[in-house]
Amino acid sequence: MTQKVKIEIDGRTCEATPGEMIIAVADRAGIPIPRFCYHKKLSIAANCRMCLVEAEQGGRPFPKLVPACATPVMEGMRVQTRSALAREAQQSTLEFLLINHPLDCPICDQGGECELQDLTLRYGKDKSRYAEAKRVVKDENLGPLIATEMTRCIHCTRCVRFGAEIAGLRELGATGRGDHMRIGTYVEQTLGHELSGNIIDLCPVGALTAKPSRFRARPWELIQVDGIAPHDGLGSHLHLHVRGRQLVRVHPRAQEAINETWISDRDRFSYTGLSAPDRLGEPMIKREGGCWQALEWQGALQIAAERIREAGSELGALIAPNATLEEMYLLQRLVRGLGAQAIDSRLRQQDFRGDAADASLPWLGVSIAKVEEQEGILLIGSDIRQEQPLLAHRVRKAALAGGLVATVNPYRLDLTFPAIQFTASPSGMLRELAALAKALRKRGSGTLRTLISEVKPTAQQVEVAEQLKQAGKRYRGLILLGALATAHPDYSLLRALAHLIADATRAKVGFLPAAANSFGAYLAGALPHRLPGARPAETPGLSAEAMLNKPRKVYLLWGLEPGFDLADPAKAVQGLDRADFVIACTGYRSPALERVADLLLPIALFAETSGTLVNAQLDWQSFRGAIPPPVEARPGWKVLRVLGNLLELEGFDYRSSEEVLEELRKQCAHAKPNNDPRGDLKKLPPRLSNGDRLYRIGNVPIYALDALVRRAEPLQANAEFLQVSLNPDQAAEMGLGAGDQVEIDQGEGKLAKAPVRLDPRIPRGCARIPAGLSGSEQLGPQIGPVSLEKR
Amino acid sequence: MVERQNSVCFRTLHLDQPWRLDSYRSIGGYGQWERILQERPDPADLIEQLKLSALRGRGGAGFPTGLKWSFMLRSAPGQRYIVCNSDEGEPGTCKDRDILRYNPHQLIEGMAIAGYCIGATVGYNYIRGEFFEPTERFEAAVQEAYAAGLLGKDIGGSGIDFDLYVHNGAGAYICGEETALLESIEGKKGQPRYKPPFPAQSGLYGRPTTINNTESLASVPVILEKGGQWFLDQGLPNNGGLKVFSVTGHVEKPRNLEVPLGTPFRELLAQCGGVKGGKKLKAVIPGGSSTPVVPGDQMMELNMDYDSLAKAGSMLGSGAVIVMAEGTDMVKVLANLAHFYAAESCGQCTPCREGTGWLSRVLHRILKGQGRREDLDLLDDAANRIMGRTICALGDAAAMPVRSFLKHYRHEFERYIAQGERCVS
Amino acid sequence: MLQALREYFQSLLLIELFRGLGVTGRYLFRTKFTVQYPEEKAPLSPRFRGLHALRRYPNGEERCIACKLCEATCPALAITIEAAPRADGSRRTTRYEIDLFKCIFCGFCEESCPVDSIVETSVYEYHFERRGENILTKEKLLALGDQYEAEIAAARAADAPYR
Repeated sequence: MTQKVKIEIDGRTCEATPGEMIIAVADRAGIPIPRFCYHKKLSIAANCRMCLVEAEQGGRPFPKLVPACATPVMEGMRVQTRSALAREAQQSTLEFLLINHPLDCPICDQGGECELQDLTLRYGKDKSRYAEAKRVVKDENLGPLIATEMTRCIHCTRCVRFGAEIAGLRELGATGRGDHMRIGTYVEQTLGHELSGNIIDLCPVGALTAKPSRFRARPWELIQVDGIAPHDGLGSHLHLHVRGRQLVRVHPRAQEAINETWISDRDRFSYTGLSAPDRLGEPMIKREGGCWQALEWQGALQIAAERIREAGSELGALIAPNATLEEMYLLQRLVRGLGAQAIDSRLRQQDFRGDAADASLPWLGVSIAKVEEQEGILLIGSDIRQEQPLLAHRVRKAALAGGLVATVNPYRLDLTFPAIQFTASPSGMLRELAALAKALRKRGSGTLRTLISEVKPTAQQVEVAEQLKQAGKRYRGLILLGALATAHPDYSLLRALAHLIADATRAKVGFLPAAANSFGAYLAGALPHRLPGARPAETPGLSAEAMLNKPRKVYLLWGLEPGFDLADPAKAVQGLDRADFVIACTGYRSPALERVADLLLPIALFAETSGTLVNAQLDWQSFRGAIPPPVEARPGWKVLRVLGNLLELEGFDYRSSEEVLEELRKQCAHAKPNNDPRGDLKKLPPRLSNGDRLYRIGNVPIYALDALVRRAEPLQANAEFLQVSLNPDQAAEMGLGAGDQVEIDQGEGKLAKAPVRLDPRIPRGCARIPAGLSGSEQLGPQIGPVSLEKR
Repeated sequence: MVERQNSVCFRTLHLDQPWRLDSYRSIGGYGQWERILQERPDPADLIEQLKLSALRGRGGAGFPTGLKWSFMLRSAPGQRYIVCNSDEGEPGTCKDRDILRYNPHQLIEGMAIAGYCIGATVGYNYIRGEFFEPTERFEAAVQEAYAAGLLGKDIGGSGIDFDLYVHNGAGAYICGEETALLESIEGKKGQPRYKPPFPAQSGLYGRPTTINNTESLASVPVILEKGGQWFLDQGLPNNGGLKVFSVTGHVEKPRNLEVPLGTPFRELLAQCGGVKGGKKLKAVIPGGSSTPVVPGDQMMELNMDYDSLAKAGSMLGSGAVIVMAEGTDMVKVLANLAHFYAAESCGQCTPCREGTGWLSRVLHRILKGQGRREDLDLLDDAANRIMGRTICALGDAAAMPVRSFLKHYRHEFERYIAQGERCVS
Repeated sequence: MLQALREYFQSLLLIELFRGLGVTGRYLFRTKFTVQYPEEKAPLSPRFRGLHALRRYPNGEERCIACKLCEATCPALAITIEAAPRADGSRRTTRYEIDLFKCIFCGFCEESCPVDSIVETSVYEYHFERRGENILTKEKLLALGDQYEAEIAAARAADAPYR
């Protein structure tokens, strides 16, 4: 515990930590000091000069006014924020700021929530003394997310510092001197960083505003509702801003333990997908000849109930891992209530051989905030910036603080922090991990033993292993398994190796959830081998893979698109095709879904329904609906409740989603997070051989994660499209060049065409062909053999 | 006093090709550096001599050099730097240019000694971008010094390292401010840093750094050679030694003159041949354009040293004496200066970024004959609101001339305003 | 006593009656101020607050910039505005409606308008025949503005010195 000092601000005694800035102490005490450039999460620039205050130390006043944001407190300091001199300085600064500000508040989106406007009300004069020409600055085109009006810029440089310090990518900078100084990209370019939307919130004026909601609403028209982000595993806290029946924009809600004050662009702009043109508004049924007919809920639900009853235990249910806890719980109750065991939400997993050894209730391993305190982090199969943008920021902080970050990935990542990257083909990833294990003098058992015996660690691997061990000794080691690991055909082995390394280094193993509620599925029992409360099922049901291989009579698809959200779309569609009846509860109608489904039931999406999401550190985060679902769409839990009643199942008489949650919560009372493997792996032969086959690496790009994001137009404007990325050497050997159209064949007889892109970050023997993108719905497994043919 | 002239920084001027190593050697150059290399004296003793000499920073602020060096903790581990500020951008100043041209070796020696005193093994000389010839001369001199084994690693087997690098600016006045200069060396936009931390704690690349003016560093070898007491005796107490004055403007013979501090202005003016065309002296800006203007009559009674100019409400600054004869249009002078500061403000702090442009625009409007009566109070008030409110001193530098010109020559501005367009034609 | 006597003589001599007739007579010969509406109309102040209109600039560009200040200030909540960027990127309304049943003609909308777009004209003779006609749409408001622009401009000019 550090010594506290006492200072006096405006006659009030405040306690402070030595070295703290005056403004931070004043903020805590609720004493307002005007500021523009200061932001608690950014470095101190002290350039706006708005926070000048009078201060004295030991009875001796400072010779000049001091900026409160850059003056550390000392014992006995006395500060006056509203003395005549301080006020005069603050008024002067404001006058200077306004002389070149266009004062176009009526057409400015910031009008009504503008820091400059607020302070002008407090410090400004009615009339300007400035009678000369004002500066006009040309606007920057920063892409589809951020609108600019650079004439309004007051040069606080918050956006510049954000780029340098938080994003780790200096996309904006200041050029020019004096009042010709301007903020820009220098060479016109789109901001591409996944956190860049935060500069909209940072900008104290209307120079940087959100493009998708440009001119749509005034701040005073908006009703603010708390929300939870439905994409990555953090469940960032949001403010949903609603006007009438419309969600107009999304802002971050500060939550130090999860998202600090930031949110990713995906969380910020995905709401635009809510009003996509292919949004499903009413129940639809497929009639003879494949034409779709709308029908009433009553009739639709009756048909659904009939079919489900007929199927009985032959029912298979797949639920998207971003469905709410309530939906997951009710769906599994429904499935299990009918005697069926086939329910799964691990849609992108290929390898279920390790289910018996699966962690009882997986989680991140440490709290989200603690990630930045780790001294050694090993990331296995995770393009973390794309998967968990804000967690990547925490990892970045750990790396910048001197911690080791090492990655084992099937392609080299674009990282904004120093990291040791082991890049290897999917089968090579096993060898890289085995080498690390060997460097730690682990022998392993069964298959691992064979794997480890075959490798020889490099000097770098020994070094990384040693550093992980050092970090583990101080309980600051963490091994994370990401989405590319989950999609790996030998996920069970990767996980076993991770546990082995953890065992040797005393590092913790953590899992990165694939979607917003992946871990909630363990608690809700929306998995074949887990009952509610994460209790292991005595006889595990059919996994996603199994139930598609062994077709069911009736499938219930919840919130997913078979072409995009499943590990092996080609095989999945085959499986669904063979069913008698497919019921899809969905927010959207898409051609792929319409092909396999027979009945579409419209459900409410993010912001339209109440519910709960469980994030990576197993926080239960409940939210209310902010806007009504479109047309006839209904919240999912209500649909399931009625279905349960129609099927005459016991206890489906919930009156609110809270009741559902309460029921589940009681069953989860004893569920404890636990990442330990529940048993030893039997001998598992690796599915991937060292052969010279070409392997597809099907990562899911950041804006292809789920149906909502895929329809968010502003995010899609510059998003990745389907390409085949090859190592230049590999391409040359295959006689392919950049831009060549190739036919992708994954052995299911289904082909897709895409252009070739050369990328040295891809290892030889691999082709990066992303999943979840338009065109990829024909393809086979995300990670698996592939052959390419030039067209 | 004539015999004492040019005896410190310009002591090689009488030689043929004074910039050559052998010319400098011929007057005992590098003697002090070689003595240090052999004897390795206690740096504290050397700093003591400097403190005794009362050498004050010649770049404009006048901070005692010895004191500055003593802030550098020799015991602290890690890299330290000595940086020479040759970004001589102050309008009217051209002394450092001539030191670089005619006596580069003395500067090199001074930097090496400074490096030894503060424990820096690397020195940077940041030379103004427009100094093409001086840069070449200095670089040639550095090469000569390396070739002669006076710089480098483990110099002459003494175990002392000192490497010297030349860095050229790109034409920004603000880079003469020490922290902006450091940013510029680091490859960033030249913008002053907020202090504290001072460069002595966290300077170049975040390491302890001392930054001195060219003339200050070039004076060091002579001080050590002849002793701090000798240097102090040349000038006045607290104003030790000789100082180069760049006398420009309306004088018969504009020139750089190294004279003892405390020399009467009258004598300095006489040495430059008096006011051009025998006219009456109207005004003098005694220390570079950032210092307040002093009316001619008052100036004739003043001595050129830090304290007496401060008493007269001005500053010695960088020693750029701008002489203005009767008939000079003070409104034009001020408008010109205001334009300079508006163009050279780095744009970081609000009052300076916006205020300097405002001052300049109002002054140019007055110049065009479109002034208003309230403009003069506005100018004074706006200048007052810039003063002391910025990170670096450029804001003050821009405001001080405006306030002093308005104080002494308000009637000229009023005439412009009253006569409007007629005055312009 | 004296008072009673004076009153008695006054009524006896019909003095009060003649005084009253005097007032009548005086007005009989004065200029009349009764206005024969609708043949005649009373003069209007330039500040008169009648039917609303949206004005344009002389080049035909609509003035309204969708700042929504009128909507915010309207005490009767009679104004409804929706805004979006126009094709050229400028901020424009896609919907601007005034419900005349709600409007109380307070003139706050006019006062709050930073670009003198929404104004109240001196038109006060209008009626509705069908449901829905009470809603002044953007088209109607702009048409009113075009029709009465000369009058509106004159009224603004006349009132300018006092603002």
